[in-house]
Amino acid sequence: MTHTSKRILMNKIIMTLSTLSAIIGMGFLFWILGVLVINGVDALSWNIFSQEGAPPGYENSGLKHALIGQLFLIGIATLVGVPLGILAGTYLSEYGQKSALAETIRDISDIMMSAPSIVIGAFVYAIIVAPMGHFSGWAGSIALTIIMLPIILRTTDDMLNLVPSTLREAAFALGAPKYKVIIQVVYRGAKAGILTGVLLGVARVAGETAPLLFTSFNDNFLNTNMNEPMASLTVTMYNYATSPYEDWQKLGWAAAFILSMFILALNVLGRLFLLKKKGK
Amino acid sequence: MSAIIDKIFAYSSKFIAVSILLLVAWIFTVLLQHSLESMATSGFDFVTQTKWAPNLEKFGALPAIYGSVISTFLAMILAVPLAIGVAIYLSELAPAKLKGPVGVSIELLAAIPSVIYGMWGLFYFVPIIRDHVGGIGISMLTAGIVLSIMILPFMAAVTRDAMNTTPDILKESAYALGGTKWDVIKDVIIPYAKAGIIGSFILALGRAIGETMAVTFVMGNVHQISTDLTAPATSIPVTLANEFTEADSGLYYSSLFELSLLLLVISFTIISIAKFYFLRRARIGQ
Amino acid sequence: MATIIDVTEDKALEVKDFEFTYAGNEKPSVNKLTMPIAKNSITALIGPSGCGKTTLLRCFNRIHDLYPNNKYSGEILFKGRNILQPKEDLIHLRTQIGMIFQKPTAFPMSIFDNVAYGLRLQGMKNKTELQDRVEKALKDAAIWREVHERLKADANGLSGGQQQRLCIARAIAVEPEVLLFDEPTSALDPISTSGIEELVVELKERVSIIIVTHNMQQAARVSDYTGFMYLGDMIELGRTEDIFVTPSEKLTEEYITGKFG
Repeated sequence: MTHTSKRILMNKIIMTLSTLSAIIGMGFLFWILGVLVINGVDALSWNIFSQEGAPPGYENSGLKHALIGQLFLIGIATLVGVPLGILAGTYLSEYGQKSALAETIRDISDIMMSAPSIVIGAFVYAIIVAPMGHFSGWAGSIALTIIMLPIILRTTDDMLNLVPSTLREAAFALGAPKYKVIIQVVYRGAKAGILTGVLLGVARVAGETAPLLFTSFNDNFLNTNMNEPMASLTVTMYNYATSPYEDWQKLGWAAAFILSMFILALNVLGRLFLLKKKGK
Repeated sequence: MSAIIDKIFAYSSKFIAVSILLLVAWIFTVLLQHSLESMATSGFDFVTQTKWAPNLEKFGALPAIYGSVISTFLAMILAVPLAIGVAIYLSELAPAKLKGPVGVSIELLAAIPSVIYGMWGLFYFVPIIRDHVGGIGISMLTAGIVLSIMILPFMAAVTRDAMNTTPDILKESAYALGGTKWDVIKDVIIPYAKAGIIGSFILALGRAIGETMAVTFVMGNVHQISTDLTAPATSIPVTLANEFTEADSGLYYSSLFELSLLLLVISFTIISIAKFYFLRRARIGQ
Repeated sequence: MATIIDVTEDKALEVKDFEFTYAGNEKPSVNKLTMPIAKNSITALIGPSGCGKTTLLRCFNRIHDLYPNNKYSGEILFKGRNILQPKEDLIHLRTQIGMIFQKPTAFPMSIFDNVAYGLRLQGMKNKTELQDRVEKALKDAAIWREVHERLKADANGLSGGQQQRLCIARAIAVEPEVLLFDEPTSALDPISTSGIEELVVELKERVSIIIVTHNMQQAARVSDYTGFMYLGDMIELGRTEDIFVTPSEKLTEEYITGKFG
């Protein structure tokens, strides 16, 4: 066998292995998606949206409590996290720029984006749950806000950086003060990108479970008081799935399906915004 | 008037940005403060002892540390070759029609929350391990495999992105010397994208070691060190997830906080190495 | 409508009724082209951007095959065979027909390993033999003097002009019969450019050369034959002095006198 024919054989082997691993990888992933869709659609019913949790064995049980709890938790985290994140990102891109301070904030935020979220839960437990003496929706929202902040901050920073500096210069040349240039020109130029960042940030915290386990905890019934323990889709899913009751497990799949579709929709939407912007 | 608003805007944005640093410092401080009792009581025994018995006020975290290391190691061994394979397929092999859709679906799968992977593992993978490999299915091995599947999309997507940074003209040069696809990949693309590829692997490692939900369903939270991979085990995040709401004494809490601190320090270190050593070099390389 | 002369030398390559169409295009980017490439000579391809000169060059080593669904028709004869036939061994073809690109393409490895790369692909393992061949190639590419003390250094540390000569050394190390140059000096400063030009002229003793250039003076300085292309057609192929002094086609004259392009 000549050296070249050995190389050609080796090439064939590796390319086959690589195609195979793509098939295996995609196979696993579609298996998970398939399971999610089949079990989820099977478990969906009007009750899911209209009924609260119930003890196992009850016919009229649903996820209304978890859906509304989830909306509260994410809603408050978004209301707090997005403006703060955008403002901090604005500092990095428009004021701090390449300064040592700004670079440090960037680096630390980058690390925080990949840091274990359960640790954030422990932190919020220590500063809020323990002093207050009980779990609460507020604690959950704060944990999610802390996770969301660095994501919004870094995408805002990146997206504002993409706005050409000539645009800023043109506005300054007309005598506009800096905050007006930022709000009227820079934000407008980066609108689609910031929106994408917000959508991805919301999608990211929507799937968080670990930091909620001991902050917002859980509640099997509808509760809209942020001062009380609050149900979320993710913790409900965890509790129901690990329970021995079949009807609870079924509700767990419904929660998994609804949550995944929500997160995938946000991701797809975020991508579309970016694509549209690129198309211009 | 404008000048005042200008100042307010500048300072408030700076204040919030700096708060991020303070927040991170605060997180470390709080975790440290709450760990002090455990540190004073257990000392180094905390990381060297294997007995974790809250009812006896014995807190040896070695089984959890061992479990974190082994499950992550298993996950990496399984995921790295698959991720490289998928990345090669996506960047060099896939027909143009598949490249886009497969690439995007990999990225979307990376966005699926880890709790879903854990749930799938519990209902569909645990029985397979139990029936075909052995044990009760809830095990270190199961956790490693579920973890590997969870990090696969992220790893494959970033590895592909790193490989795609290789300029076409460089690849063409290697083909122009009579290289096969594999020659070009191993001699040009991988060396060129090396820093980016290694960086993304280490980043995935940093994420895997702190991952809670994908493994907590299938690991069992049993504090033991076993060489049998089909035996139940625990890891730092799994212990935290299972025991935080059950802790009933100051020392128990403090030990859990020390575990949190340990986890945070470990992941901070790994992620920093990935980001600052490898990925920053990769950025300069371009 | 086109004036294509025949060459007096032996032919390194012969293009016959050749057409090339990019994937997804209806219209060919190289139209019904017939031309000879003289052995041990330099043939320059000139023309305005988009005229198909680079496209044509990239057909000779079938580098277009890296991207799916590109279409060839007609014939390109090399050593008595049509290299466009489907069962042509592309790996072997590319060791016989080498290529130099617009930008230096040093691989991320040492200077020595860069030059040894093609030889190793062919299975050469003997250390002394490798060393001899690498040294010879580096000398032939007129860069030995500058790099012989740091053969183990990363090739990306060299200057642009040095890297381009390294790429030439890498290409000639495998002793090809034809070398394709795709605007090899477009990324280089004037001094490096003249160095590369001298090198190209020296190399024609051993290989047949086709060079694509957007620089007409370069074509005039280095080449024996010049082909002028326009919108995918070979308008005129002739001896370089004829093309630049007494072109037969009006289009050629307009182009070389700068009326368009």
